[in-house]
Amino acid sequence: MSLEHPATTIERHPMALVEEPPLYRADLTLSQVTRDIVAPLDRRPNGWWWLAFLISVTLLGVGAITVVWQLRAGLGILGLTWPTMWGTYITNFVFWIGIGHAGTLISAILFLFRQRWRTAINRAAEAMTIFAVICAGLFPLLHIGRTLLAYWLIPYPNFRHLWVNFRSPLIWDVFAVSTYATISLLFWYQGMIPDLATVRDHKQGRIAKKIYGIFAMNWRGTARDWNHYESAYGMLAAIATPLVLSVHSNVSMDFAVATAPGWHSTIFPPYFVAGAIFSGFAMVVTLMAIVRKVYNLEDYVTLDHMELMCKIILVTSLMVSYAYATEMFSAWYSTDLYERNRFYGVHFGLTHTFFTGPYAYAAWIMLACNCFIPQLFWFRRLRRSLPMMFLISLGVNLGMWFERYTIVVSSQARQFLPSSFGYFRPTRFDYAVLAGSFGLFFTLFLLFVRFVPVIAVAEVKAVLRQPVGEPAVTLEERHA
Amino acid sequence: MLKQKGKRAGVLGIFRTPETLLEAVREARELGYRGLDAVTPYPVHGLPEALGLKVSWMPRVTKTFFFVGAGLGFYFEYWTMAVTWPINVAGKPYFSIPAFMPVTFESGILITGVLTFLALFAADRLRPGPGFKALDPRLTNDRFALLIPTGFEGPKPAIRLLRELGALEVHEIES
Repeated sequence: MSLEHPATTIERHPMALVEEPPLYRADLTLSQVTRDIVAPLDRRPNGWWWLAFLISVTLLGVGAITVVWQLRAGLGILGLTWPTMWGTYITNFVFWIGIGHAGTLISAILFLFRQRWRTAINRAAEAMTIFAVICAGLFPLLHIGRTLLAYWLIPYPNFRHLWVNFRSPLIWDVFAVSTYATISLLFWYQGMIPDLATVRDHKQGRIAKKIYGIFAMNWRGTARDWNHYESAYGMLAAIATPLVLSVHSNVSMDFAVATAPGWHSTIFPPYFVAGAIFSGFAMVVTLMAIVRKVYNLEDYVTLDHMELMCKIILVTSLMVSYAYATEMFSAWYSTDLYERNRFYGVHFGLTHTFFTGPYAYAAWIMLACNCFIPQLFWFRRLRRSLPMMFLISLGVNLGMWFERYTIVVSSQARQFLPSSFGYFRPTRFDYAVLAGSFGLFFTLFLLFVRFVPVIAVAEVKAVLRQPVGEPAVTLEERHA
Repeated sequence: MLKQKGKRAGVLGIFRTPETLLEAVREARELGYRGLDAVTPYPVHGLPEALGLKVSWMPRVTKTFFFVGAGLGFYFEYWTMAVTWPINVAGKPYFSIPAFMPVTFESGILITGVLTFLALFAADRLRPGPGFKALDPRLTNDRFALLIPTGFEGPKPAIRLLRELGALEVHEIES
């Protein structure tokens, strides 16, 4: 099959500086798109799906049992001891929230920048966002210890007339994360309504038609409907864009507003946001590398799309590397005794530097996986090799977990006085809950690919005949 | 107008491509037909203009929602922190505007998002539809339709027109 796009159907946009390859194969027809993307929902899942589902549910079960155990026994079963009272739960929270960010970046920011290749991956990436935020949201609730009192985090009228402290970053976080979860869910669902209508009209079974009909919300697809729909979609994208930047900024302020050396740093908000996008894209690459293969969607999630994501990983890798360098530099240049001790460990006669001390393993994993290995993406061959990008993206996820681990844990272990130095050692319960969160994430993701079109059918159809770089006509141009 | 349970009848012409649909819309409008609507599987570029639809009012309400939401959030913070039960936390001022900004922003976004979503449901009359009957199931797949409402002159002229405009099929509907 020819990959050439018939030259007659494309008019190059006058603003396009470079010749862009077509987004999708030229001979794809509308009904073919519907068939390819909706057909897997008709088939029974194959053995691979069941195997993956079984593993995920098992991990989820292990996590659930551990959580119940922890709720009964208390937080003491984790590695939490003075002075490191924030351990893997907070690490996992930051890690999962970060994973979610790529989904919103793809669905909202790339939408506003008219990056049309997003149509291939936005649905799955948004689903990933929601599941990651669910995983993330559980950890602070468990971490507060008395989980049944979690509603104290919400300002509600009570007989004691007490309110939450709105000057505290921890409360900012409650608002940021819950808003983020809500908006992501609405945005995802809105984007899905026309596709659910497609599935509804495609399904033959009476019950399936009814169920998809409920969720398709009587969608008809008239020009009037689309007119409001597109406008509302643009508006949600416009508010999701500053939202996603604010969420990880707020998360970073949980640390940056505290005075602990290694936390008290103004670079944290942009540094966290870049890291979040970095790890999130790695997760999208990991997931899509599998999904496109298993569901035969190579025509939709093309190698070109995967390569673009690898480029974003490369760019964000450089950003986080720069942030690490800035952190190290300003610790030295500030001449702040405690900051220097945190990174260089040269005071108080200690030799525990960041890269040779007790957390050296985490620091090196972080450096290797986040700074060095992604540089392989400078080579086009490696950017276009699925096994390579799969491995590198797994590495990035590992590296980003350890980055959060070094930030959360090692800073607390090196506070102001040698008498408050310590060492955090995760217990098997820490690991079990981490594994459980992966189980939850993949269980939800597998259910998603089973019941919902993984690719935004209507959006793919709308850009089927357009090259990658063509900017869309803006509302102003349309109504000029 | 295409209503789920309206009384108005109409004629539905089915087209193969968005280009033929657009052409048909333009010609029908030129011939003086009004109240046309189209049904498409994806948003077709240029269709709202061809049909003479107004720009959606969605952005205007969204902006309003944001300012209302952010204002409410900010006022709530001020009221709880500085008015009803001020508590001295680490000597910070009761009315700390910079520290109130994150929650002001987030409540603005939250209220905007939820209300915009609900506004879309109202504008497009969306509600759970277990018993939905499609005009034609292909219209969410690969076909495009133009709907001409019939007036006192009956469906005949519209049927003839749609045939002339190159519709593959023409159906009379009681929408």
